[in-house]
Amino acid sequence: MPIVETENLTHIFPDGTIAIQDISLKINKGEFVVIAGANGSGKTVFARHLNGLLKPTKGSVLIDGKPITENIIEARRKVGLVFQNPDSQIVGQTVAEDVAFGPENLNLPANQVKAVVKESLEAVGLSRFSTRSPHTLSGGEKRKLAIAGILAMKPKVIIFDEPFTGLDYPGVVQVLKQIVKLHNMGHTILLITHELEKVLAHADRLVIMHKGKLVEDGKPEDVIYHSENYGVRMPLNDGQKVATLTWLK
Amino acid sequence: MAEITFFHYIHKDTVLHRMDGRLKLICLLLLSLSASFASKLEHYLVLLFVVIFALLIAKLPIKALLKDIKFFGIIILIVIVVDAFNIPGDPIPYFPVTSISTKGLITGLRFAGRLTIIILVCAVITGTTSLMTLRNVVEWFLRPIPFVPEVRIATMISLTFTLIPVIFDNLAEMMYAQKARCVELRKNPIERINFIVFPLLSQTLRKADEIVYAMEARCYSEVRTRAVFKTNKIDWLLLAICISVFLFVIL
Repeated sequence: MPIVETENLTHIFPDGTIAIQDISLKINKGEFVVIAGANGSGKTVFARHLNGLLKPTKGSVLIDGKPITENIIEARRKVGLVFQNPDSQIVGQTVAEDVAFGPENLNLPANQVKAVVKESLEAVGLSRFSTRSPHTLSGGEKRKLAIAGILAMKPKVIIFDEPFTGLDYPGVVQVLKQIVKLHNMGHTILLITHELEKVLAHADRLVIMHKGKLVEDGKPEDVIYHSENYGVRMPLNDGQKVATLTWLK
Repeated sequence: MAEITFFHYIHKDTVLHRMDGRLKLICLLLLSLSASFASKLEHYLVLLFVVIFALLIAKLPIKALLKDIKFFGIIILIVIVVDAFNIPGDPIPYFPVTSISTKGLITGLRFAGRLTIIILVCAVITGTTSLMTLRNVVEWFLRPIPFVPEVRIATMISLTFTLIPVIFDNLAEMMYAQKARCVELRKNPIERINFIVFPLLSQTLRKADEIVYAMEARCYSEVRTRAVFKTNKIDWLLLAICISVFLFVIL
């Protein structure tokens, strides 16, 4: 049974703009899926449906086989969403306070909140910054903090919305290492990006969206050659293999 | 903003940082009231001693605080000058400016003393108490009041303080971007304000929208884990000192 499934998912904004149209997609447990597409192709709107932030105009989202509307809080706990701009996600005045936000919302006992915050900060290597103000962290560290905030809720699936935007080379490497580590730990990963050269070597599947529709879905080495038809740069040079497309050494 | 130390939490491991936030807030009230009621020189001296003692044990960067206090220094000076000139009374003996009255000057100095003490007490409290603790304390004090959504109010306070540095950062970036396009050449100040206020407002509202989504994504709920407060003997001792100071001033 797929861990995330969408059936004919459609979202039309009040002004009539069709953001996504008839998207049917099944994501299996433990998969690493890259969703690519040009700006305005509907990637972020699609991701926000998987976390129950947006309600579909038509169609449905199933998490672990159950409709998301059945228990929205449980769905949000299972599917963590790391936003494109980490500053939007940070609500605490210290790193530890920010990570505690999610578990406190779940009304966990105080000692359990403390334990889960410690564990999440250790997982992303930010323990030494626990008392620092999040706004003094570097771009890569802020992304890691956003990831820790999601990990504290013990999700099964983690969606990363453009996780490399605005990061320098060390920042991209830091965040990519973290994502690969989470995948190796058994998390299902959905990564939205148009920068395929940074991550595609680690993905099991490449999905391409174009003008709100799902136009390609398959193994990265099969799909990648069509990417430029949909406004996504094809990063392979002549004779280069997909397995080499990573910024990790 | 990150460079400003005044009214910002500075993490240290001291008695005041560890103190129960609820008692700390009561101490703030007692010391502020004491400063408001202070009328004799010894009252001010005792209060000043307590505040300096608190600054020292909190290990707050006094030099940086004094540097940041400059803005308040101007306000305090204005208060002294206005009182000295406006309150009628006998002129200061042997002083060349006869329109300054002795009574006015003393009243001005008293007011300035009160203001300085209150500002310093606030600096100690905010420097030693994290925003989350303040939020939890506000929630704790509001909880018994019926029909008051204490969690919502506390979240609003916390978000406001969290967003202030972000808004200032945006403002600074916008001003730089406009300077890069020679905004100084526009002489009409209203026009220049327009170029700042509307984009800033629209950006802030968009950011607020994003934050709402991010909070929803992390299951925001008003039924949340309640803070656990711990009170030790030293906390009670510090409260007792503040009560004694208050009684000394009002009796």
